[in-house]
Amino acid sequence: MSSQVLALTAAHLHDRRRSLLAWGLPLGLMSAFIVAIFPSVQGALREVVEKYPTGLKEAFGIGELNNVEQYLHGEMLSLIVPLAAGYLAARAVAADLSGAAESGRLDVLLSAPLPRRRLCAASFAGAAVELAGVLLVTAILTGIGSLLAGAGLGAGHAAAGFAAVWPLALIGAGLAVLVSGFSLRTPVVTGVVAGALVAAYVADLVGKLDSGLSWLRYGSIFKYYGNAIEAGIEPLAFLGLTVLAVLLTALGAWAFERRDLTA
Amino acid sequence: MGAVIETRGLSKRYGAARGIEDVDLEVLPGEVFGFLGPNGAGKTTTIRTLLDLIHPSAGSARLFGLDSQRDSVAIRARLGNLPGDFGYGRTASGREALRLLARLRGLGDLGRAEQLASRFRADLDRPLGQLSRGNRQKVGLILACFHRPELLILDEPTSGLDPLMQEEFLALVAEERERGAAVFLSSHELDEVERVCDRVGMVREGRLIAVEAVGELLGRARRRVSVRLGDHAGIADLRALPGVSDLEADDGRVSFSVAGDLDPVVKALAAHRVLDLEATHPDLEQVFLGFYEGAEAP
Repeated sequence: MSSQVLALTAAHLHDRRRSLLAWGLPLGLMSAFIVAIFPSVQGALREVVEKYPTGLKEAFGIGELNNVEQYLHGEMLSLIVPLAAGYLAARAVAADLSGAAESGRLDVLLSAPLPRRRLCAASFAGAAVELAGVLLVTAILTGIGSLLAGAGLGAGHAAAGFAAVWPLALIGAGLAVLVSGFSLRTPVVTGVVAGALVAAYVADLVGKLDSGLSWLRYGSIFKYYGNAIEAGIEPLAFLGLTVLAVLLTALGAWAFERRDLTA
Repeated sequence: MGAVIETRGLSKRYGAARGIEDVDLEVLPGEVFGFLGPNGAGKTTTIRTLLDLIHPSAGSARLFGLDSQRDSVAIRARLGNLPGDFGYGRTASGREALRLLARLRGLGDLGRAEQLASRFRADLDRPLGQLSRGNRQKVGLILACFHRPELLILDEPTSGLDPLMQEEFLALVAEERERGAAVFLSSHELDEVERVCDRVGMVREGRLIAVEAVGELLGRARRRVSVRLGDHAGIADLRALPGVSDLEADDGRVSFSVAGDLDPVVKALAAHRVLDLEATHPDLEQVFLGFYEGAEAP
């Protein structure tokens, strides 16, 4: 990695150091709350969930709710954490590209001998590290919640569950770089990424609910995201999503190099 | 040695909107070149094209003999740039920006930056969002100059600076020229350009309408002269002078515009009793008017 990319990544992490708490704390506290209440609601939940249609349970990844891992997946890791993390990734990239264009910072940085593709690479790298930090904080707080409540959340399962969010959310970062290749307006960048993540989730959901539309799932990153907290990380899916994020970034960098830098 | 900046037919259009049109200019080594024009004339568009921040619709630009698009990274290693309306976000301090810029340029020594900060009384430690426009501008100037570039591109550099700092800035530009650097200075302030530039390019509505030495430019300009005479006989003499126009007489005070130098006016007035005399420095609009009149003359 070039010294310029390292310098920009370090600057990104310094500028966005507060996001560890701003994003990690609420997500972590929410997850901690979910696992902490599991022992006391487990019985009642099981009775309620047993009455759900099977297809609905499968669609929302609820399973049988026999253990805290299933509950955490259904309540947090199937939708809320991936969407929040993907959106965070988009915002992290937007801060370096569209946000920097809007504030004038981009003009200053590109007065230096800095190829634009390195700016994109550093933005993606910074978002990747920032995401990892936020997911780590979230996972640690969740673990603490489990320990305090005696919920029995398996550390390995929890680690796999939160780690699997990382490549999925990285797609948000890659997509944000790609959109920045065409628009340098932050609401457009974050809006497109958020919309794409929701659309991917809905496509996966519809594919699960209607077997006639199951083909939709193949176009959704949520199919490959799976349910790592219960099934463990699928290495091929993890790698595939990461590679896709890198490819989106490369494509975005290519477009970014060729565009006029006007917001 | 060739030109530091050379453009040929440089044009930029934003869809149907005008940017710049067929700009041909040359900036020589060690020269302070003023790029003068009203707001919206195309000065910033020209600069952003030179820096490869935007791509030309037609024509070409070469800096240090290198192509502005293909060799953009190599070019930017040799120049310093102060963007118009300098901004860097709200939370970072000037020192953080400086350190990052230094790392991007592969520099470790920030001694000159500290000297400039002291000279301009710039606060490098406060978040830029907490600084006034003028104080942010000082930080921008330091970021543009700290690495001793061969070419300085400055877009409206004195906007927001107080008069003392404007003086300091003009002194710095003169020192940069002494050092051998070329300076491309965009401005809509005629005074600033007059004091520090060797040559001036005038841009209006996207077109470079003239490139002249500063003295020639001012010689063309129309000045407004106001004189109170002890008698009314002088009015007719003034009206008959070549270059005098827009003459208005009111209760002994005569005001008129003069194109070119004031020598004929002074000589005509010498034959009369002059109670008061005032000649205003031409402003940018008057310079442009003077140029157009000169261009239209047979």
